[in-house]
Amino acid sequence: MTGVGLYNSLNIYLFVGLVLLTCGILGVVYRRTLVSMLISMELIMNGAGLNLVAFNRFIAPDNANGMAFTLFIMGIAAAEAAIALAIIILVFRKFRHVEGSQLKEMKD
Amino acid sequence: MIFADIIFILIILVTLAGALITVLSGSIIYALIGLVITMFGIAGLYIYLNAPFLAMMQILIYVGAITVLIAFAIMLVGPLYKKPKEWTYPLKFIIAAVVALFSFFVFAKIILKTQWAGLLKPFTVSTKDIGRLLLDRLTFPFELISLLIVVAIIGAVMLSLYSRGEK
Repeated sequence: MTGVGLYNSLNIYLFVGLVLLTCGILGVVYRRTLVSMLISMELIMNGAGLNLVAFNRFIAPDNANGMAFTLFIMGIAAAEAAIALAIIILVFRKFRHVEGSQLKEMKD
Repeated sequence: MIFADIIFILIILVTLAGALITVLSGSIIYALIGLVITMFGIAGLYIYLNAPFLAMMQILIYVGAITVLIAFAIMLVGPLYKKPKEWTYPLKFIIAAVVALFSFFVFAKIILKTQWAGLLKPFTVSTKDIGRLLLDRLTFPFELISLLIVVAIIGAVMLSLYSRGEK
């Protein structure tokens, strides 16, 4: 398992996760509709999971805590996506659009 | 070794291209396809990290379940092609790019300055160890996750069911 390949350095995985986080932040801030903001949130969660698995493989290679935590992240992402999409459908029924910048009142 | 490196660089490029498509494309369907490409790239990176079970779960859960859920939401949320412009106005994009680049440089500085402790040791964790950990020491969070998913599904159904009579 040991070797000197490019894929055996920790920093590359960390930078891939960092680019995913940056793209997610960019998407959450500037995308127009709520659905694409949710897609960007999924990008951020994927970056976090990749970081956890990389730390598990390079820093603590004798247990599987990071992998178990990534599985938990996947489950929580599924639940979060279900709830968020139900709320998005509610918003669409009430306002007839899903633009994030034009939702100015919470309840009328 | 060289061949493995080439495949690795290719997987990283696919992942980054998928992320850029997700963020910068003008339509939501293209953003969803970019998300799928990113998920497949991350599954490949998991295989390079000696975690084939996680790669399979990544494809199964993200590509199989969450993407289909988002696709259903896009279909339910109405004709988005009437206003296909995701670029609202350039000032907002400039502000978002400033925020994203600031966070990128902060975290890149942190990554490059830190001396990570562990050297490269052989990695012997297998899928059996993950299962034993989940059912041995992490049993309570595991059951809590299942309870959370049940509550979330019932909550989503109730939210979309009880709001139909209003309006």
